[in-house]
Amino acid sequence: MNTAALIELLYKMADDQLILGHRNSEWTGMGPLLEEDIAFSSMAQDKIGQSHALYQLLHQLGEQEPDTVAFTRNAGQFHNCIFVELPNGEYDFSLIRHFLFDTAEAIRFEMLSRTSYKPLAELSVKIRAELRYHTLHANTWIKQLGSATRESIGRLQHSLEAAMPYALGMFEPSPLEKEIISQGIFEGEVVLRERWMNTVAQVIGQTQLTLPDWKLINPVYGGRSGKHSEHLQPLLDEMSEVFRIDPSAEW
Amino acid sequence: MNSLDPRVNRLPKIGLPGQVEPKVPLDQFGTFEVFVQPKEGKPFQHEGIVHAPNLEMAFVLAKEAFTRRFLCVSLYVVETRNVYVSALTEGNTTAYDFIHFVDQQPGEKVAFEIYHLPKRGKQHQHAGTVYAATPAEAMSEAKKQFGSKLVYNVWTIRTSEIRFTSADEKELWLTLPEKKFRDAADYKGGEKLKEFLERTKA
Repeated sequence: MNTAALIELLYKMADDQLILGHRNSEWTGMGPLLEEDIAFSSMAQDKIGQSHALYQLLHQLGEQEPDTVAFTRNAGQFHNCIFVELPNGEYDFSLIRHFLFDTAEAIRFEMLSRTSYKPLAELSVKIRAELRYHTLHANTWIKQLGSATRESIGRLQHSLEAAMPYALGMFEPSPLEKEIISQGIFEGEVVLRERWMNTVAQVIGQTQLTLPDWKLINPVYGGRSGKHSEHLQPLLDEMSEVFRIDPSAEW
Repeated sequence: MNSLDPRVNRLPKIGLPGQVEPKVPLDQFGTFEVFVQPKEGKPFQHEGIVHAPNLEMAFVLAKEAFTRRFLCVSLYVVETRNVYVSALTEGNTTAYDFIHFVDQQPGEKVAFEIYHLPKRGKQHQHAGTVYAATPAEAMSEAKKQFGSKLVYNVWTIRTSEIRFTSADEKELWLTLPEKKFRDAADYKGGEKLKEFLERTKA
């Protein structure tokens, strides 16, 4: 198996989960209603747990310890897409990002449950089960608010349009894409993107929201090769603050 | 000034001098009752309520509000107003003494779920299913089946009003047993605090 290709795939997935998990956790204590605050915080915690499991797979492949990998790299060494590092802004943007991202993740891990790399296949079955709730949560909210009031529809529509170029950045092809596909590690970003577009369209079609024309959207790439927005480094500084003060601290 | 914290922005505005107005009702969502099954084969148990705009949202919000810790293999929700409640009793008086037998009611017989409060201060537990045309008839049917039991309260809910977990949604709790870190006991906060105090004293 091409280990370099596998490592590259695992890093981008783990980094996506870690960064979005941290971003979404910023809503803890400030969610729009108590039950939603708990649900969104739990899912943020799931994402960080999923990233931890993926970093453990990387560690088994010779990479450094999960904490070292998560807390000591600079922005340029992260492989997450730019989409997940964008600030939360208002809750409508966080919900739209949650919907677009988790829809992709649910399909990604469903595909990965058939990967030729067995440890990842086993982990994917578990992650897929957690994502089952994440997508149920996202779809229910999008259908609810996407058909509710003029304000809720307008807000979601605005966020959907703002998010879409970044969302397409999730599928930035890897330089090792051919190896990843030919070795049965993953069916590839193009297949994933097609399936994602269909699912997104199917949910949005049940609301009063309008999907932007895919052909007119320019994907925002760069994150996979370490070229990030100005928002990532401050997030990393905050996330690693305790670790940098005391790497042995337990909390 | 707008705060980044939505709760601050929701605070009441400063009023005008001389203002006298009726109190505004609470802008809360309605309530939905949440029932959890901790293990396969165990009865569903009432755990509490969530506020939500509709039944499906209630299901989604109940999942994390009530089953993010501890055991769960299935949950369901129902709008509070669809729960019919008997009189509450105490001591050696069973709630079934306060339920009247009623004649067969006209209309289609449909399924109703029956719940018992086995002890005061505990939660209602699912006891079984009866078929009736009205909630009063369902209570009467429950009395025929379970009337000899000492219970302190009886609930009945029309089965068709319940949002159940579907068979393929059961994977929602697949990884829950691995999330022991969410239990306060697992965190061992007291031990950590003691250790920290001893370390800083030294």
